[in-house]
Amino acid sequence: MPPRIQSRSVSNTLLPYLTAPSSSSSSLSSLPSLSSTSSQCLSRQFSATAAPQGQTKLRRQMFEWLNNEGSVFKHHVPGEANYLTRLKQRGPETAEKSRPFPNNQSFFSEPILSEELRNEVYNRVVEQKKSVRIVSVELGIDMKRIAAVVRLVELEKRQRTQGKPLALPYARAIHEMVPTTPLAEKGERQTYHEPINDLPAHPLTGSQIFYPVPESRSFNRVEAGRVFSGAPAMEHSEAAEINHPSDLAEKIIEDPNSIGWVGKGANARQILQPADVRIPHPHMVALERDRLANPNERLAVADLQSKRLERQDAIEQARRERIQARREKKLTVVSPEESRFDYRIKDTIYTKETTGADGRGSKAAGRRYGVPHRDRTRGEVKIPTRVEA
Amino acid sequence: MRNRASNTLSKGKIRQSWSKYNLYNLQRFRSPPTANRTFFQQKWSAKAASRAYHGEQVRERQWKRMFNHRIRSVIPMNAADLAADDGSLVSSGRGSGLDKDGKSAYQTRPIPYSHMTFAPLERRLDVAIFRALFASSARQARQFVIHGAVTVNGQKMKHPSYLLNPGDLFQVDPDRVLYATGHTKTSFERREGRLARRKAKSQKSQEAEDAEAAEAESKETAKEDIKETPKEDTKETLKALLAQAKSVMSAGKDTLAPQRKQELRGFQQAVRRVLSRSESSTILADSLEAQFSQLTLLLKAKRSEKPVKKEVKPRPEDAFASDNGDTEAVSAKRDTEAAVSDKLSEAFAQATLGNDVDASELSDEEFDTLQRALTQMRDNPLDNSKTYSTPWQPRQYMSAFAFIPRYLEVNQNICAAVYLRHPVARPGSAEVPTPFGESIATPAYGWYLRRRW
Repeated sequence: MPPRIQSRSVSNTLLPYLTAPSSSSSSLSSLPSLSSTSSQCLSRQFSATAAPQGQTKLRRQMFEWLNNEGSVFKHHVPGEANYLTRLKQRGPETAEKSRPFPNNQSFFSEPILSEELRNEVYNRVVEQKKSVRIVSVELGIDMKRIAAVVRLVELEKRQRTQGKPLALPYARAIHEMVPTTPLAEKGERQTYHEPINDLPAHPLTGSQIFYPVPESRSFNRVEAGRVFSGAPAMEHSEAAEINHPSDLAEKIIEDPNSIGWVGKGANARQILQPADVRIPHPHMVALERDRLANPNERLAVADLQSKRLERQDAIEQARRERIQARREKKLTVVSPEESRFDYRIKDTIYTKETTGADGRGSKAAGRRYGVPHRDRTRGEVKIPTRVEA
Repeated sequence: MRNRASNTLSKGKIRQSWSKYNLYNLQRFRSPPTANRTFFQQKWSAKAASRAYHGEQVRERQWKRMFNHRIRSVIPMNAADLAADDGSLVSSGRGSGLDKDGKSAYQTRPIPYSHMTFAPLERRLDVAIFRALFASSARQARQFVIHGAVTVNGQKMKHPSYLLNPGDLFQVDPDRVLYATGHTKTSFERREGRLARRKAKSQKSQEAEDAEAAEAESKETAKEDIKETPKEDTKETLKALLAQAKSVMSAGKDTLAPQRKQELRGFQQAVRRVLSRSESSTILADSLEAQFSQLTLLLKAKRSEKPVKKEVKPRPEDAFASDNGDTEAVSAKRDTEAAVSDKLSEAFAQATLGNDVDASELSDEEFDTLQRALTQMRDNPLDNSKTYSTPWQPRQYMSAFAFIPRYLEVNQNICAAVYLRHPVARPGSAEVPTPFGESIATPAYGWYLRRRW
């Protein structure tokens, strides 16, 4: 074992030579600073590197970045997005949508509804009693979002009247940080918030099908849908009736049962319909067709469109009422006096479809002999799967 | 569940969190190298990196059960295109449209399917709360749920793993949200809060002893205050009020919290001094709300008087307003407001030595500053009993993480959000927020495609 230097016996004058023997000149120059940190040096005599002062290299680098380049992220600038990608932006590339993640090229920070636009949506739907469909087309907002906005504004109003606490400064800060879609000034065109005619990709369309068609024959969307769902080709007379796929949309709104079926029993499924039927606003295609047919009669086309929407709304409304009435007919509501509860009693139907061939179907109602209770079966989700609104 | 999700610098993992460590890690993250590595190794490291971000609080087995290889996507349709063509143009030629000059007629951007691998996790309640910007990390969101601060469709929901259904409305307690997204309290503020609590406690016990005596005393002191104030020059008070408002509004982020608080308190006092002129002493004793409404009323009354002066020398802003053609409506509205607060404005005018003094003293911007300072005083009050630093400010480095995905509709005022639909991919963009690029997303998707259990 090599001889050890006793730390107590070493005088201060000797220290620099002991700790850094290789570079005597540099250590001499740093003599005054060393005297202040002598206690630290005494504990780590054999280390030639400087004391880390409580920080690792990575930590030091991090704080260096945070204090220099990263200091722009510390506080937001109202009305401007402040994402990491701004570090790499050189020149005027700010016109495109902002990306929060530098590595992900396909995620964008989409604008949210501004406070005024949100109130405008509520105003048009609740006070002016316009239909959700029309407001959606006017403002370029998805119908689901419009329904949600109405619900949320309603809730906000209720909470304001009840005097419940609100997070107003927080809301203001968020609207300053995140891009927003403003409400158009009077006389200006409203900028669309999002695409409203999104066609969901149907799983049936995922498969690649080789389907030879003579070049002389036109092959349209209706026929493509039938091929994807494995339905036989239409009769000539039937096909001749359909001028354009959007004719089907009108027909299906009037009679939803007009969609044909393929397959038998459990495998039965409806024939895949063309995009004109499956988009959220089929009436917009009809309007465009009218415009193409009569390019010089704007007023007549607009009139036709409003009549069409009225008719479709009436049909929808009637159907909704019919379904509601049927549901109420099946349900018996018993509300005893001096009770906090209403009892909704529904008749259970015991058929082969509901209870299964052996009478032990897992979806059937009630407790059945030989069938374990649902919470005892393996892989069953035991927390609530839905909350009734 | 123990939280192993620390933001270590040595590992450099990206988490669902707004901490500055995470920001630094996000900034320096590079995709793992693929050269000289087997496909298995590439998939493994891609999976490891993406799982550290997506559902780190979910156990691997649980996530594997949730994974679905089928990914939702939508194609935005143009009604005019659909009307112009029944599909026969697209299917003409060899089945994909007649090409123009060697280029195919229908060019679409690719749909980034593999970026949607972790879409099922976005349904989880805790993740959705984090995405709606109600919590500063997914872990914190999880804690909010477990501690009972979250409701789904109006009912308390205590399961962070509850899978939201389209149309579900979830709401977080606003105080928790302000705590999560705001500055933390300094030791000084914590001490102030403690003292205030202690004082309130002792007051409560004292009140029980001699409630009547205390009431009488407070009335006396209030009267004294009112008597004292009219002696001061009213013009000076107004000036001081404005100066205070300016200092409150201009107080930057760097000013120390105690100093800012002093400014705010000073402003509050100045407001009280002005209010004492309006000859209705009840407002002074009333809540902050009443004070605020009173002051705004006074301000509005003063504003309605202003246009008379402006007709002589119109400003550019006013010229713009007259272009819009609703100045008449505005002035009519102002008239009605003036009629309502006629008495008050008279009182105010008497107290402040006539109209002309005010109009010359206060410009439009100054009015604005005053109004904004008042609004802030009302909406964002100084209250040491809160768990966050007051007046509320967004926490540092928050803006770098602030985005709200399209599948949520959020109302920040009440801290509620609706889960509209499941996230979808569309040509050129994916809705699942993920910090990783194609080189990680695709191998990670590939890892879960193969069933390994």
